[in-house]
Order: sequence, then C-alpha cells, then structure tokens
Amino acid sequence: MFDYSKQKDENQNISKYWRKNPKSIEKYQFVHHFLPKPDKRKRADFLENKAILIYCVFILVITAVFRIIPKVAPGVLGYASDINITDLLKYTNKKRGENGVSNLRLNDKLSAAAQKKAKDMFEDGYWAHVAPDGTEPWDFIVGEDYEYIYAGENLAKNFSTSKEVVEAWFKSPSHKSNLIGANYEEVGFAVVNGVMNGYETTLVVQMFGKPRQPSMLASVDDGAVNIGKNTVSASEAEPANTEGDSNVRSETSVSEEPSGTESVESEPIPSGSSANKFIDVTLATKTISLVVGGFVVSLLLIDILYSRKKGIRKFTGLTLAHMAILLVVIISIWLVFRPGLVV
Amino acid sequence: MMENIKENRVEYFILFVAITVFMFFIYTFRFNRQMLILLSGIGSSFYIIWGIIHQWLRGKMSRSVIYEYVLFGILVFLLFFTVLSF
Repeated sequence: MFDYSKQKDENQNISKYWRKNPKSIEKYQFVHHFLPKPDKRKRADFLENKAILIYCVFILVITAVFRIIPKVAPGVLGYASDINITDLLKYTNKKRGENGVSNLRLNDKLSAAAQKKAKDMFEDGYWAHVAPDGTEPWDFIVGEDYEYIYAGENLAKNFSTSKEVVEAWFKSPSHKSNLIGANYEEVGFAVVNGVMNGYETTLVVQMFGKPRQPSMLASVDDGAVNIGKNTVSASEAEPANTEGDSNVRSETSVSEEPSGTESVESEPIPSGSSANKFIDVTLATKTISLVVGGFVVSLLLIDILYSRKKGIRKFTGLTLAHMAILLVVIISIWLVFRPGLVV
Repeated sequence: MMENIKENRVEYFILFVAITVFMFFIYTFRFNRQMLILLSGIGSSFYIIWGIIHQWLRGKMSRSVIYEYVLFGILVFLLFFTVLSF
C-alpha cells in the first residue's frame, strides 16, 4: 500500500531544501542544459538541432568577421611563421641528398633577385611567376647580373616553418623538379613579410641557377652552408651579358591564378624584423574550430554516458557516429591542417 | 555503447572504412588547400547520406533526424572550411 504521508514528508523536505538553497536551483537548471531529457527522449538542449544550427552560424560569422577585418584594419590579422634561409637551404639540400643530387650553394645574387621578386609581388599585389606587367622571374635574375645557363623559381606563402615549405614543394611534381633538379648548382632565397590582401603574410621565393661563368664556382666552398663565404664569391663574379642567350628556363607550373586583384596595404617588411604584432589568423581559426568541435564532442560523450547510466532511449540519430566524425575533424585540424600555398 | 555498435555493425563498418580512407586522403593532400576543401565537402556529404540511409534502413526516419544529420554534416564542413579558408 502506498504511504501518502511518507511521500508528503519527502516532498516537503525537497521543498525545504530548494527554499534554503536557491542557488542549487540555478545550478540544476544550468546543468540540465547539458544532460539528455528522459521525459522527452531527446538529447541535451545544447545538442538540439537549434543549438547545432547556432554553432554553424557562429562559425560562419567568425569566418565573415575574419574576412572583413583586413578590409577595415589591414595588418591586424596575419600568418605567423618561423621561416629562415638557413633552414630552407638545409631542407632543400637534404631532399637533394635523399634523391642522389649534389647540394646547392647559396648565391647572394640569386638571393637578391629573390628579394626583389618578393618585394615586387607585395608592391604590385600579385602572387605568380609572371608579374601583371609581364616581368618574368628571369628578369630579376638578369637584373642582378647573374648570367645563367639554367634557372628556375619556386614560390610559397602562408607556411609556418621552413620544413613545411620544402615539404610542400617536394609534394608538388613541378616544384619537385626544380628542388631536385640536377642542372642547378646554386640557389637564392627570400623570406619577406608584408601585408597582402589585408593579411600580414610571409612570402618565400626560391631561385635556382647554374652560372655561365665557371669563375663563379671556383671561389665557393663545396656545398657547405656558409652564407658569408658565398656572399664573397658572388661579389667576385663577373657582370653577365645575357642578351641573345638561348637559356634553358625551368619554370614551375602555376596552380593558382595570378592574383592581380589582391590589394597590398603596406611595404614589405624584411624577414627577421619584429613586425609580428598581429593576430595569427590560422591559430585563431584553428582554436575556434577545435573549441567548438571539442565542446560538441564533450556533450555527445556526456549524452552517451548519462543515457547509458539512466537507461534513456532517445529518438535521435546515432550519437556515437556524430562523435566519431567530429573526432576525425578535431584530429585532422589538430595534426594536419596548416596548408600554405605554392606556385 | 557496444550494444549500439553490435546493432549497427554493417553501418559502423562502412563508416569506419570511410573515415580511414578520408584520413588517408587528408594526410596525402595536406599541402593542397583546394583538395582539402573538396575532401571536406565530400566527407560531410557522405556522412549526411550515410546517416539518412542508416535511419531509413532501421525504419527510424523522421524529419528531425534528417535535419540532425544535415546539421552535423554542415558543422563538420564548416569546422574544416574555417581553418582552410585562411
């Protein structure tokens, strides 16, 4: 027989408890949003379709804001990077060594040509092998009085490390042919920071060459990474006369349309200067994606565990599948995603 | 959880294979931004279709569940797209 008096006492005790602890009600109401609903046989409020829609809209708004900020305040957002010429040369020669090709020597004239190419891209707002006015990579090389038999150019932007840059070039067949090209003997690099299309970014220019003048080679050490020595040897080179040369040019294919519409907001900043006072857009978007994805995965995990404990059967899709697919997203973003661009 | 997996063994196996292939391609094309965006689109579309077919086979199809899979698919794509678009 049901004991109504006992039930009444229990209810009174509960009422007393809530009256004495109003904060507990708030706490219960808050936690309630995170837990599945046994009565409605549904997931937590924060996992309802409306909530998922709100997360989608939130991400879209963030993306839109990050697109608008560079137009309103150029240079506020950017791509932080730790790229330097020594590492670029080291990883380039490592790849060449692995493929049985001799090491490249760093050449000061090729580096100067690469520097001018990078500066030209920032100034004229393009990112391609050929400038909008028709200037080709070879024009920069010849402009530095480097007389060559073979020459080539690789470009990269928005990468975070030197190793990633070289790996990306190696993954692309056209860039790889330059990177491990047996015809080349010397290389020059430029790593230049600047604002392109409203974003602070780092452009990397790699120029390859085989000098026509043997004297240019005679004074250079055997492939060792010695910037100072190579600088001296380059300065000793005779001025080149390339008029009428039937030079063989190794050029990488352009995988992205020349971005003539990109706007350049400021002068390029030499690599190594302390100009990194911007929000790293890659880190920011990555963090937001991981936080939102992690939050939803946590709620799904709570849903699985709580439903199992309370024996709740819900009229919903497969929670475990949602969790699995979101975990794939999180792992991919966490471990893999940081793609820069190469041409 | 194990009961759930046992009940939907075939569907989960297909999903597991798809995820493995997806992860392989993501790693392979990790330096190709356009390809990664394309893969994200394909991956999220596959998940929506997989979910809807699963619900249909189990006779648990409802408008709310379809919306659920569509929204999760969109969320997956947007999480990728936000990172890849900068």
